[in-house]
Parts: sequence; structure tokens; C-alpha cells
Amino acid sequence: MEPYQLTLDSAAAEIAARRLSPVELVDSVLRRIDATEGAINAFACVTADLARDAARRAEEEIAAGRHRGPLHGIPLGVKDLCDTAGVATTASSKVREGHVPDRDSAVVERLLAAGMVMVGKTHTHEFAYGVVTPTTRNPWDVGRIPGGSSGGSAAALAAGACMVGVGTDTGGSIRIPAALCGTVGLKPTYGRSSKRGIAPLSWSLDHVGPLARNVRDCALVLNAIAGADPLDPSTLDAPVPDHTAGLDGGVSGLRVGVPVNHFFDAVSDDVAAAVRGAAAVLEGLGARLKEVTVPLADAMMAAGWAIILPEASAYHQGSLRERADLYGPDVRLFLEAGELVLATDYIKALRVRTLIQQGWAEMFEDIDVLIAPTVPLAAPPVGTAMIPWPGGGVEDVTQALVRLTLPANLAGLPSLSLPVGFDAGGLPLGMQVIGRPLDESTVLRVGQAYEDASDTVGRLAPL
Amino acid sequence: MSSAPRPLSEAAEHAARVARLPLSPERLQIVGPTAELVYTLIDLMDAVPLGETPPATAFDPRWDR
Repeated sequence: MEPYQLTLDSAAAEIAARRLSPVELVDSVLRRIDATEGAINAFACVTADLARDAARRAEEEIAAGRHRGPLHGIPLGVKDLCDTAGVATTASSKVREGHVPDRDSAVVERLLAAGMVMVGKTHTHEFAYGVVTPTTRNPWDVGRIPGGSSGGSAAALAAGACMVGVGTDTGGSIRIPAALCGTVGLKPTYGRSSKRGIAPLSWSLDHVGPLARNVRDCALVLNAIAGADPLDPSTLDAPVPDHTAGLDGGVSGLRVGVPVNHFFDAVSDDVAAAVRGAAAVLEGLGARLKEVTVPLADAMMAAGWAIILPEASAYHQGSLRERADLYGPDVRLFLEAGELVLATDYIKALRVRTLIQQGWAEMFEDIDVLIAPTVPLAAPPVGTAMIPWPGGGVEDVTQALVRLTLPANLAGLPSLSLPVGFDAGGLPLGMQVIGRPLDESTVLRVGQAYEDASDTVGRLAPL
Repeated sequence: MSSAPRPLSEAAEHAARVARLPLSPERLQIVGPTAELVYTLIDLMDAVPLGETPPATAFDPRWDR
């Protein structure tokens, strides 16, 4: 086994035992990047020299007895939406070409303080405003999209070109690429981690979180990035537990909600079978499955877009008037259309959001977590604009990929996506586990229980 | 409240001027229909009885956060 093939948890153990040097590990990952980038183009830039320097410092610190913890010396890919001091941060957009921040974003600060080694900035759909990440290809099939907007992080992770990816999620942008690329991805509770230094898409719905190869790796990263930040007013002043404690506690007696509406409407047979199969695994482990009806399902997309569109347009007002031609056509169109959304409709959406929050709280009186497909199908081919469904209907690819993930953004609830199967073509299929506010520990425990009882989590793409 | 579709293809030019967003006739040809589709979606919220529900806003007036 090459070092890049190790999980974070395994690599951390090897490093702590001095059986593996961070220098060896980052060299292995950098060679893997060299071997795969031509096919998948996951990185906006590779910071090889910085990574080798950081790995040497990590090696010296660990040798001197200053081991910072399980993330020390672990290779990291950072979504190019997140500021990195001295390293170009372009949001994969010509609008930000050459932009070099002088300060790290909060999430990067915390992960570097934990000793992580950044190997590069991963591609995002331009300004996170899309679910395709057109620069990048899916390592499971390079003729297919990786999803987005954190497509670069997911593709790099799935190819073994990093061990952790930082992502952001406004309508699904961690979980969609995680599902399509066969990785684990966690959108934490709204406000659980600081978004300072990350270009916003929609302040009210943006979340930052990890993509990783397995559930424990996600928990380790969450431990490092969670917590209040006085410079991000959206963060919650709530204690941060050790998210790895209790991870192996199992699901006996846990009440797992399975939705009878919305989440299984218009999904592929493969996706439905994989998620229901995962539900059966959890039931076999002692969980109690309970059918639930998701409230306000028909209003989710309306409320979500009525919030995202004007908030995104508000952020880009200056650039849209001065440099509109530098935006990609899809993003430019969204930004222009967002300028035409009335304030009264935006406020209506915020009122619907209040009802969504109340309705989901009532639904969770009878369950501990909700499980559902993350996305309704496996990765579509590059260039797909419309998804054909049996019966003759077609659906816009953005709508199709967002409709199952957006509810957890509106409700602000933690949602973990993990691979639960593969379609007939070998493409990964994802399930999400949605929990109560700030109850990432239970969500992760469910994910860990499934992972331990199956063999679908932790695979690298055969690239 | 009316449930009629919103004629943004016709109103887009005026709406863009109010927004101080200069859109060429070519851009209006594209943006107008997209805005109409957006509002077709947004107007699905008309079916939600809002009553006295307040908006989910995040302002916290405390200074020592």
C-alpha cells in the first residue's frame, strides 16, 4: 500500500508511531497528484514547495515531541473559495484571477494550526454557484462530472490526491460531490464552523465542512474546525464536543426516520435500492426505522432559491456592473436574475424558513436522525443539461442535484453523506444522514455504524 | 393575492433600471425569461399559509459575542 492510500486515521497512527514521516506521506500524495491531475484537473493550483516545507516542519516538530494531534502532517486540499495567505484564491473565476489574500480563512487557520499540510487549492464551481465544477472530472469515470460546487475537493480525495478536502455547502455543495465521487462529506450545523475568509454564496445558507475518506476522518477534522468565531457573527457560541467520542457506540435503539415523501420521489432505482439497503443494515444493527413525512417539501426549492439568488447578487453587485464579462455564462445569468428578486419575496422565503425549522423540529420529536438519498442519481456525463426520467419527463441537472440536499441547508441541520453502493456502471451512490442541531455526534455515529457493517466506504477510485 | 404569472420578460428592462443594472437588449432577451422561470418557482411559496410567522433572521444585538 502506498502512503497516499492510507486513511487519515491510519496515517495519523503511523506518523504518531514514527513509522511514517510526514515528508514521505506528502511526497506520496504529490506523486499521486502528478499521476492523476492530467485526467481529473482537481486543483486550481498545487502548492508542492509549500507542502514539502510544511511536511519537513511537521517532521521536525513530531521528532522533537511536539505532536499536535491526529491531523499533524496530513495532506489537505482547500477549496479555492477559502482564503489562503500568500496563495492565490480565485474562486475558480476570472473575476478573482491573481487574487492573493494576506490572511488565511478561519477554517484554514484552524487546520494549519492542527498541523495539516496543504497540497493545493481545489477547484470549485465558479464562486460556488453551481453543482457541476466544469473544470474537473470524476475519478470514477472521467467522462462524468464530479458534482459541485466542492467538486475539486471531492475528486482529489477520491483519487488519493489529498486525505482531507475542505468544502462549502449552500444547497448541497459538500454532499453532492461527496456522493458523486464516493467520499464522505459533512455539512455541519449552520454556524458550527466559521466562514470568515470564505467568499459567500448565500450568507444565510452557507456552511463550511470536511470531505474525507471515511467517517472517523470527518469527525477528526470537525473537531479542529468547529467553534465560535467573534469575527463571523453567524457562528454559534456552543461547546464543541469530541466528535470521535462515542463514534463506535452503535445504533441500537436509535430511531431512524425514513421519509415517505420528497426524498424518494424521482430517484433512480439504483439510488433507492442502495439507500433502502443501507436502512436495512442499520435496522439489522438495532436501529428502529420509522416512516416520516417531511413538512413543507413542496416549498423547499422555492424558499431556497428565493434566498440564494438575491443574497448572491447582493455580494456580487459591484463586479457584475464592472466586470460582468469575466463571469461564466451560467453564473452571470444567476447573478443578473437575482437582482430582479423583490425584497418582499426574499422575506417571504425567510418566513417559510421559520416554518421549515418548526416543522422539522416537530418531525424530530419521533426520530433521532433522518436518512435519505443525497442525490437522485449517479454522476451524470459531462455536458448534461437535462436529466431524462422514466415516463418522459426531464429535469434541469442543477435542480435534480440540489433538491435532496437543499432541505438540510434551509433547516440548518447537520447532514453527513456517505457512499452506500455503486450502480451497474460502478459509479458511487450516496446516502445522507440528517440530525438535530449541533448533534453531529449522533449523525457521525450512525455513519460509523453503517461503515463498519459494509464495504462501500473508504474506496479510492480505480484511476 | 394574484396568482398570475409575473411578466418579467416585459418588465425586466424596467426592473434592471431600478436595480441600476445596465442590461443590453441581448442580455434582456436571456435574463427576462430566466427571471420568469425563477418567479414561477418562487411563487410556489404562495401556497404556504404564513399567518404571523416572522422571518428567520440572524441579527444578534449583543456587543460582547
